[in-house]
Amino acid sequence: MSENYLRFWGVRGSYASPQTDKLGVGGNTSCVEIRAGNHLLICDGGTGIIPLGDLLISESPTPETLIVFTHYHWDHICGLPFFQPAFSAEWKIRFFGPGQNVGDIEQRLSNQMKSPYFPIEIGSWAADIEYVKPIEGKIPHGPFDVSYHNVHHPGTTYGYRVEIAGKVIIYMPDNEIDFLRSSIAQRTDEFTEEEHQMIARIQREERDVELSGVRRADILIHDAQYTPEDYSKKRGWGHSCYVDVVNFAIDAEIKVLYLYHHDPGHNDVQIATIHQECLALVAERGSSLQIHVAREGAKIPL
Amino acid sequence: MASSTTTSAFPLVVAVDDSSAMRVFFEQAVAGLGVDLRTFPSAAAAAACLDTHQPALLFLDIIMPAKDGLTYLQELRLTSLHEKTQTIVVSSKDYAQDRASAKDLGVLEFVAKPITSRQLAELISRYTGARAIDESTRA
Repeated sequence: MSENYLRFWGVRGSYASPQTDKLGVGGNTSCVEIRAGNHLLICDGGTGIIPLGDLLISESPTPETLIVFTHYHWDHICGLPFFQPAFSAEWKIRFFGPGQNVGDIEQRLSNQMKSPYFPIEIGSWAADIEYVKPIEGKIPHGPFDVSYHNVHHPGTTYGYRVEIAGKVIIYMPDNEIDFLRSSIAQRTDEFTEEEHQMIARIQREERDVELSGVRRADILIHDAQYTPEDYSKKRGWGHSCYVDVVNFAIDAEIKVLYLYHHDPGHNDVQIATIHQECLALVAERGSSLQIHVAREGAKIPL
Repeated sequence: MASSTTTSAFPLVVAVDDSSAMRVFFEQAVAGLGVDLRTFPSAAAAAACLDTHQPALLFLDIIMPAKDGLTYLQELRLTSLHEKTQTIVVSSKDYAQDRASAKDLGVLEFVAKPITSRQLAELISRYTGARAIDESTRA
């Protein structure tokens, strides 16, 4: 197979939402497949990795497979115990995620399969498993150039930058944009004019660093879990309001933004409304940014 | 074990933060205080100092390029030199999970940005005992 593509297998945040009014967008949690010939990169192992594994298990020859995790919150790892290729001796699978060393990665992935949480442990995996450590901040994987950076979410959480065939894809499923700006706004009365100026400089600097990490990417897959109303109640939960995401993507000159990590409480109609409001924001700013809703099963040629 | 003081005879304070503006805030905070401040933009940059010196007080940001501050502190705690180094986290992150991790690592205080040089000076004085000095007496 020589086709290069990206496919969404899980697009929900927090927990799976298999209710009928949500299946147009999809109910599985975070999982994205990126394919380049016989190299397979899987981003996160939420429940979306289960149907992906069901499809992969009949593939021959088996692809060179790397699974990267942004972090170890359950919605990003809970599909892994049901990932069929891990139980097949025909497969070799490499894992990477936050941790000081490969032992940390193994421990964090395997803990969810320990008794009493699961009936079998990772010792039952028949695949050739390898936990990888980065080389100069990158994870080598065939034609892929995979690197990672720290993002704004509870616990050590990575965003990934994937370069393949001249395209740049940024995967940031969990990231609370502009948290510092709202922290400053909440405490504005505490500071002198001089301090305000310095604090504004700190904020600009942080924003510039965030923008520089994603600037001019072809595809940005980003957390857009909350509406402004949601965010007013859930600021500090580690997820973004779509208004901030759209402004961030425009400022970073992103070509295509995929709204991702949908709130499990939002149905298809509500997500379509969010999409329309995002498009209106783009029109207001006169930007050429394209915005799509990440939908389970959607396959994007690269 | 290396001393927490340096040749300046003032207590060593180390701040690791990738924000150049924050590092200026630290410099403003210690102006006139009897401390020897060293600032670094990353864990890697701080290593040369922290591999051999135990500061009287260590400030760590969390989100930085490459290694985050709490992962770095976890590594430092495994060394005899930094097993008990007084540490304060100053971060734009403010989540219960990070606060809990910091507490487990023996962090004295977890301070959410924005923070001012005044507030930093108070923290430095509180944990190092440093007080305003006559600059002419500085080594």
